[in-house]
Amino acid sequence: MTIDVELFESMRLELRRGSLVLAVLACLRTERYGYTLRQALAADGLEMEESTLYPLLRRLESQGLLLSEWREEEKRRKRFYVLSPMGTAMLERLAGEWRGINASLDKIL
Amino acid sequence: MDMVERYLEAVAAQLSAEERDDIVAELRDLILSRVEAKEEALGRPLTDVEREAILKEIGHPLVVAARYRKGPDSLIGPELFPYWLYGVKAGLLILLVVSGIGLFIRLISGTADAGQDIAQAFHGFFGSGLTLIGALTLAGAIMEHYAIRPKWLTDWRVKDLGAFGLSDPSWWGASVKSASDRIGAGAGPARRPMWRTRAMRSPRDFGAEAAFSFLAVGLFVLWWVGLVHFPGLSAIRIDGDLVSVSPAPIWAVLFAPILLYALGQMGIDLFTLIRPQAARMRAVLAILVAVAGLWLTWNIFEAGHWFTLSVGAEQARIAGDGVLLDFDRLRELRNGERDLTGVASTLSLILTWALAISAVSLVYTIVANAWRAVRA
Repeated sequence: MTIDVELFESMRLELRRGSLVLAVLACLRTERYGYTLRQALAADGLEMEESTLYPLLRRLESQGLLLSEWREEEKRRKRFYVLSPMGTAMLERLAGEWRGINASLDKIL
Repeated sequence: MDMVERYLEAVAAQLSAEERDDIVAELRDLILSRVEAKEEALGRPLTDVEREAILKEIGHPLVVAARYRKGPDSLIGPELFPYWLYGVKAGLLILLVVSGIGLFIRLISGTADAGQDIAQAFHGFFGSGLTLIGALTLAGAIMEHYAIRPKWLTDWRVKDLGAFGLSDPSWWGASVKSASDRIGAGAGPARRPMWRTRAMRSPRDFGAEAAFSFLAVGLFVLWWVGLVHFPGLSAIRIDGDLVSVSPAPIWAVLFAPILLYALGQMGIDLFTLIRPQAARMRAVLAILVAVAGLWLTWNIFEAGHWFTLSVGAEQARIAGDGVLLDFDRLRELRNGERDLTGVASTLSLILTWALAISAVSLVYTIVANAWRAVRA
């Protein structure tokens, strides 16, 4: 049985969308700037478009989950992000939720 | 100006003043980091094409800037859209009926200029229709922007849902029963099978089709009798020359039969709207009109000459016969010349096949309706 490639792609994106926030929060336990964060995510198999990642970082920061700081590195000013204390607590709760969903899905699948 | 700066300027123009510098600085760092990484991998500076490819990957400035915008992503979001669509559909149909009734009253009360009245009715309908759509869109956008959700959107009761049939004109004729009766009788969408053949379709489906057909054929009738004009039909442009299109004598000969045929079709549509349950009568009427259509199609085909294209003294006929009904000729369609004679030949072939397909479709209509008349 062949499946509709476009339909699969849209469902795959929908599936990924919710987990990307969790991945970004988890990656920012270590301080990073946007470009290196994207590379770290890609290295772990989670490719993310810049146009999605950067606005997401700003949103998470405005929600108080991230802290940011402009600093000069390699002769250029870069904005570094790291989890705030609230972000750390949120990551812990979300990771627990994720594991629960994963365990339930594993049973069903 | 550097290509990257030009790109950033386009993004900056879409952002609010208070966060513009911050976002642009971060984007600049992202772009330059990507450029440097690529240059390191290639061991040489990037060409303009390669730099542009990176910018294209990041996205169009409008899209990139939109991602940073606070507030809703769409004018009317998925939660409000069904209400907006219902409002537009029901509102337009009510406007159409009100305009139609107003026009009808003016026409039967002995108007001095029927053409002007019809034109005014069309003008009035389109004007108020556009105003209605604009007003609903504005109201929806305000509700979306300020996250307003009136009580009637969230706190609804099943017994109040009857009015929602208004967006489907076939319910106007068929709604002799209450909404609750319809649900009880199982005619509502909840008990519909996943797929249905035409024979299994409900009167509502035929009603929607009939309403659309009535309006479309009505517009054709108005054009046919000269009350409505569509610019661009009497002349086409070929290779920069304005070519006039004149109808062949067959259209004058068949003027009255074609008008009667169209009015007959409108009659069936009206009958379907008023008596959606009368399946057998509808099938019989459809057979009669389809037979008339078949007779007309044959006469038009038999005439063999349908239009004449002329530019200055040069003329070419759009004409055809059975010889053109050959698949090899269809395959050669794309190789047709772009001059006057070539375009006339192409149009001749297309019209011949259109008439043949129309004849087959009419025969199918006759057979299918005969079957429905027997089964109903």
